[in-house]
Amino acid sequence: MATLFLDILTTSSMLFIVAAGLMIILGVMKLINFAHGAFLTVGGYSAHVVTDAGFNAWLTIPAAALVGFVLGIVVERVILRPLYDRPLDAILATWGLGIVIAQVITFIFGRGVQFAESPISGTADLFDISYSSWRLILVLVAVVLGAALTALLYFTRFGLNARAVIMNENLARGLGIDSVKVRALTFGLGAALACAAGALITPLLSIDPNMGLPWLVNSFMLVLVSGVAIPGLALASLLLGGAQVLVSTFVSPIIGGITIVVLAAVILRIKPQGLSRG
Amino acid sequence: MKLTRLASSLLLLGAMTYGAAAQEDPIKIGIPVGLSGANSVVAPSVVQSSELAAEEINAEGGILGRQVELVVADDGSGAQGAQRAFDSLVFQDDVDVLISMETSAARNAGLPIVNRAGKPYIYTSFYEGRSCSPWMYVNAWVPEQQVTPIVDHFMNEEGAKSFYLIGSDYAFGRGMLEFTRQYIEESGGEVLGEEYLPMDGSDWTAIISDLKSKNPDALITSTAGGAPNVTLTKQLRNSGVDIPYGNLAVDEGTAKSMGSDATGIYISQSYLTGIESEENKTFLAAMEEKFGDELKTPNDLSVPQYEAIYLYKAAVEKAGSADPQAVVDALPEVSYTGPRGDIQMNKQHHTPLTMYLGQVKDDGTVEVIKTFENVDPGEQCPNL
Repeated sequence: MATLFLDILTTSSMLFIVAAGLMIILGVMKLINFAHGAFLTVGGYSAHVVTDAGFNAWLTIPAAALVGFVLGIVVERVILRPLYDRPLDAILATWGLGIVIAQVITFIFGRGVQFAESPISGTADLFDISYSSWRLILVLVAVVLGAALTALLYFTRFGLNARAVIMNENLARGLGIDSVKVRALTFGLGAALACAAGALITPLLSIDPNMGLPWLVNSFMLVLVSGVAIPGLALASLLLGGAQVLVSTFVSPIIGGITIVVLAAVILRIKPQGLSRG
Repeated sequence: MKLTRLASSLLLLGAMTYGAAAQEDPIKIGIPVGLSGANSVVAPSVVQSSELAAEEINAEGGILGRQVELVVADDGSGAQGAQRAFDSLVFQDDVDVLISMETSAARNAGLPIVNRAGKPYIYTSFYEGRSCSPWMYVNAWVPEQQVTPIVDHFMNEEGAKSFYLIGSDYAFGRGMLEFTRQYIEESGGEVLGEEYLPMDGSDWTAIISDLKSKNPDALITSTAGGAPNVTLTKQLRNSGVDIPYGNLAVDEGTAKSMGSDATGIYISQSYLTGIESEENKTFLAAMEEKFGDELKTPNDLSVPQYEAIYLYKAAVEKAGSADPQAVVDALPEVSYTGPRGDIQMNKQHHTPLTMYLGQVKDDGTVEVIKTFENVDPGEQCPNL
């Protein structure tokens, strides 16, 4: 029972961490970033490069975030900014970007599986059972991340500007808010979160050119269900992640793999605006 | 990049061929292999071992005085690509024989073309078994040969009575574990659970929790190679699972790069680089010398490929010509002593093999802990 509880909690935390970057970008820029999966992959490979060069495994996470931020800023400036008046084309561009990134990674590192050292390994004892330490750390990371993003949006100047852009971009611009800068920083932040998430999940996964792909679909579903808000995303992660673990445990792991997608479709049918709104 | 290098080295090989034996046509060996797609990670090692075999044979004067020429074609690791590859090898390049490591899907798609054309075909990849054609011979293992050493070792040496099985949801994964379950139950053991995840699945959480709650004595897994195998092993180790663990899908290279997570894993193969025979040492040294830094670690797919080319040579020499029917008749009668030992494809077009049970050590190397001589492939093609 305790194991089931921890399975649900840790799976939800992973989903929350992975989906956060996608949600920030969708919230501020009204842009579904289909390159999100590729950004996760870049994060995984950053971790591989960092530990391969002999650095401490804990450094993989800030390093991946930095790589992601720089990548995000460049992509925003070069690819997305010219397409802001054509939102649909911008979405297609991110899709294409995802393919390009995956191919570039394949070209540099090959198709094979790569490895990164884990910051910690083994298990910790909790509620009389031994449980994966890294998964427990991910719960802490998810909580801190949720709090930090909330603080960023509600207690900083950048957050205020971002919220203004979310509510009414024209009005915000009229009031002297540099919405171009807000967009650029947001995309950088979203990409940084995605890459950091990629580094955070590598201790449990293999690093290969397609490692981000399965996460893209699930993140997308979570963000839609969440109604694009941080508490909503947390709720959606717990709900859908929990359902996935329950179905995998009591029905079949194969059906468990499609639970999130199916359940998300059902929820959106009942509440088209997602969990956070109306 | 790789393709151009491959093409140029083949050209070079071809040029050498014509320089040496201008009077007689070369013997063409068609190698359809998955240069792209799922097999693309392992395919280069197979091409390398083929190149070494051809070079060695040509240096010794070829087969019946004729030089050997390799024609490599990409089968895309799947059915559609295999049809194209086999078609062009058989009908355009007019090869004398097909020798290849391929996915089961590619083999099944190519086999009708081989049958129609009437060419000898040596399949050099381990597979789920029971694929039969009068033109095809197999010199790699089937489940009967790979699974039994691991299960026997776990039951007799580790005292395991209850097992847990985990696999990827596809023909090979399910086929291997189905046989494993049967064999365990026949031997008086018990299977506590048998769970699968789709091939692209990476979240083994629920399965691992179920495994821990059932508390089996030993674990046997048969995932797709590469990513699923790595994610499963990492998550098992992360959850503190340390019962005897037999992995039917891991190869030495992956085990080595997986680091400490792979330590203690049992693997069962017909080839391990640590085999202590003169043939194996000579082979490894020759590969090292020919490819240097570019060398892909020889493995249980590339070594059978190397040996198959020599088996074909022996069959042609026994038949006295490269006539397809004569060669096919001679193939089960010839044997070759290669890195894996004595190989003769004389059991219903399949091969009794010496299987090696290995265990991954702390430094990532695989130690051979037990050898099972001449394991029989069982009844694969009783009608041939």
